[in-house]
Amino acid sequence: MTAGTPATLYRLRQAVAKIEGQETDLGIGRRLFAFGIRKIDTVLQGGLAPASLHEIAPTALRDLGAAAGFAFALAARAAKGGGDTLCIQTDFTAIESGNIYGPGCDLFGLQTKKLLILKVSRPRDALWAMEEALKCRALASVIAELPHDGSIADLTATRRLTLAAREGGGLGLLFRHRPSSLASSVETRWEVAAAPSLPDRYGGLGRTAFVLSLTKNRHGPADRWPVAWDHHERVFSALSLDMAETAFDRPDRAPHIRAS
Amino acid sequence: MIVEPVKSALRICALNDAAVALGLKAWMPLADARAMHPSLWVEDADPQADRVLLDGVADWCDRYTPLVGLDPADGLFLDVSGCAHLFGGERTLGGDILSRLARQGLSAQIGLADTAGCAWAVARYGKTWLVPKNDTREILLTLPLAALRLDDKIVSALAQAGLKRIADVIDRPRAPLAARFGNGFLRRLDQALGTEGESIQPRLPLPSYVAERRFPDPIGREGDMLATIEQLARELALLLERHDEGARLLQVALFRTDGKVYRLEAGAGEPLRDPGRIKRLFVERLVSVADACDPGFGYDMVRLSALVCEKLDPAQSGLAGEDHQTELAHLVDRLSARFGPRRLTRLVPHDTHIPEFAVAAVPAQLARGVFVTDPVKQDSLAPMRPVRLFAQPERIEAVAEVPDGPPVRFRWRHVLYEVTKAEGSERIAMEWWRDVEGHALTRDYFRVESKEGIRIWLYREGLYGRDMLHKSDWRPSWYVHGLFA
Repeated sequence: MTAGTPATLYRLRQAVAKIEGQETDLGIGRRLFAFGIRKIDTVLQGGLAPASLHEIAPTALRDLGAAAGFAFALAARAAKGGGDTLCIQTDFTAIESGNIYGPGCDLFGLQTKKLLILKVSRPRDALWAMEEALKCRALASVIAELPHDGSIADLTATRRLTLAAREGGGLGLLFRHRPSSLASSVETRWEVAAAPSLPDRYGGLGRTAFVLSLTKNRHGPADRWPVAWDHHERVFSALSLDMAETAFDRPDRAPHIRAS
Repeated sequence: MIVEPVKSALRICALNDAAVALGLKAWMPLADARAMHPSLWVEDADPQADRVLLDGVADWCDRYTPLVGLDPADGLFLDVSGCAHLFGGERTLGGDILSRLARQGLSAQIGLADTAGCAWAVARYGKTWLVPKNDTREILLTLPLAALRLDDKIVSALAQAGLKRIADVIDRPRAPLAARFGNGFLRRLDQALGTEGESIQPRLPLPSYVAERRFPDPIGREGDMLATIEQLARELALLLERHDEGARLLQVALFRTDGKVYRLEAGAGEPLRDPGRIKRLFVERLVSVADACDPGFGYDMVRLSALVCEKLDPAQSGLAGEDHQTELAHLVDRLSARFGPRRLTRLVPHDTHIPEFAVAAVPAQLARGVFVTDPVKQDSLAPMRPVRLFAQPERIEAVAEVPDGPPVRFRWRHVLYEVTKAEGSERIAMEWWRDVEGHALTRDYFRVESKEGIRIWLYREGLYGRDMLHKSDWRPSWYVHGLFA
């Protein structure tokens, strides 16, 4: 029998999976994770690059929940193509920002059954685990939560993580509890603030809203946008500016930070 | 000399050679001994420390056979059937045990015989320690009755009847003996003779498969240890493959030259027999226990055993190109080995309304079952449950406009929040079977959004009306339980 080299079989399996309309984990991590908002995708030249490292931090300490949510939203989009998500927390960050809560994640769009949670005691261990996990091709994304400004993730550490992400093809998300001014080799750096949601018809809480500030971008300029997250469809949508205006009620900051 | 209180008098329970030379005997009252020799060095008995020492020696004896049983307070049983030839015969084996123990500063008496009872007898009362095959009966005939592991009471009762040696009872009619001294006595006799079987209770679970290596020169470097583990893993893999099995729980035992034994365990989520992967697991384990595992003068034996095995059918590799699932399973194993299986978890939903019990963190290696999710019913655009939940709800100061309503403002972690939108209340009462003491108060949960857009899950504990009836100064207490995105 001559048929059936592994490569052919692999292609056939993908084709069958496509015909059957199944989600397949055979080819994850090779396309850009677009936001679905034209303005953001243009700046990012198509979307967040997989197989690379991105950094997330809350604008102020009170925005921790929002930043965690944004990380989960990105992970949820990355997990659409199959593959699991690994969240790494140090014990301290779990006290500071709470434990990852399964029912909430499910509602937010990140499937709990696809979620792995690792608790470590030291930030150094979190970086080690993240590097190991990024090399694994079965993970769609890896989120590592570091206390304070996560100064342990310096240029060398982020370079190592970038290389690991390139090897494994997953999305690496470094979640610092405070924005850091350290040089790092990340692809993009985000600062996330919570924004008042658009109330629903009865005046209740609306869709989760963020103000995203892209403070570092290797592929274009930095900018900021108010966005809403539809946890049902797992898509972002632009929030109209006049509603988000109130979100800028905070001390002024340098308006345009260009990417280095 | 060691003393311990026996029947309201301090009696000597152990003594050294010098004390024996002075004419002292075990179980002599201390007062008598002091009267004979006023300047005796006396210590209190410490059974706990004795037990620890015995456990340590038992650990060390593992090098001879996996079947080591404890015989409190001062004995060990080793089942060496089938092992003795590995050490060059029974005589050499016994000599080896004695000389190695002597090097550790321990003096021991050993007995080696066909039955555990006979070995016990010769170790304590025999003239020679080695009982040749089929000589059990002859040797026993020469020994006193106390060698049969009997109660002191029975021995003295037998002595009163004029029965002092095993030879005196061995051929007597059994029925009268049993009637007078109980069945236990005859059972001990039969066990020593081998007419009744006796199994040794092993201290540790018996591994299904074992591979081990001894070193004439001890090794101590981590690289050497890992190389050894890999070689052993290769041997173990052959054994496992022959039986179509894979290991779920592996153990490396490191025998230090001075008798200390370290045991490192590593679990696997899927049955495993790939030597490379087994080695990687122990790389992580060694890193995580580096401080607790001091090689000292080195290890002279390393043993790798598969404690728990599962069926693993030979799989054809390469069909799906790269197999991501195996890769994930291996990552899970490695992370669990490094940080501990309880640190890497998956969340398994539970069917309860109490938020903190609605989900359980199950070790990822064990969470292979099905996940049944019954999502909380959604009543608005915003999620009903937070993405982050605090292990300990945080107390806040809150002001509500109406007693039962949501707060209008609250202070959490020194920051004041003005509530602009709120949803609730969602009333969650503690399930009666969890609330053993009946103290748990009903909680009213609110989802609130502050002026800045911070979304928080908080609750008020206790109900107006019912709970405040009992106390006049009752005031509601508010807690932050979780964070929404």
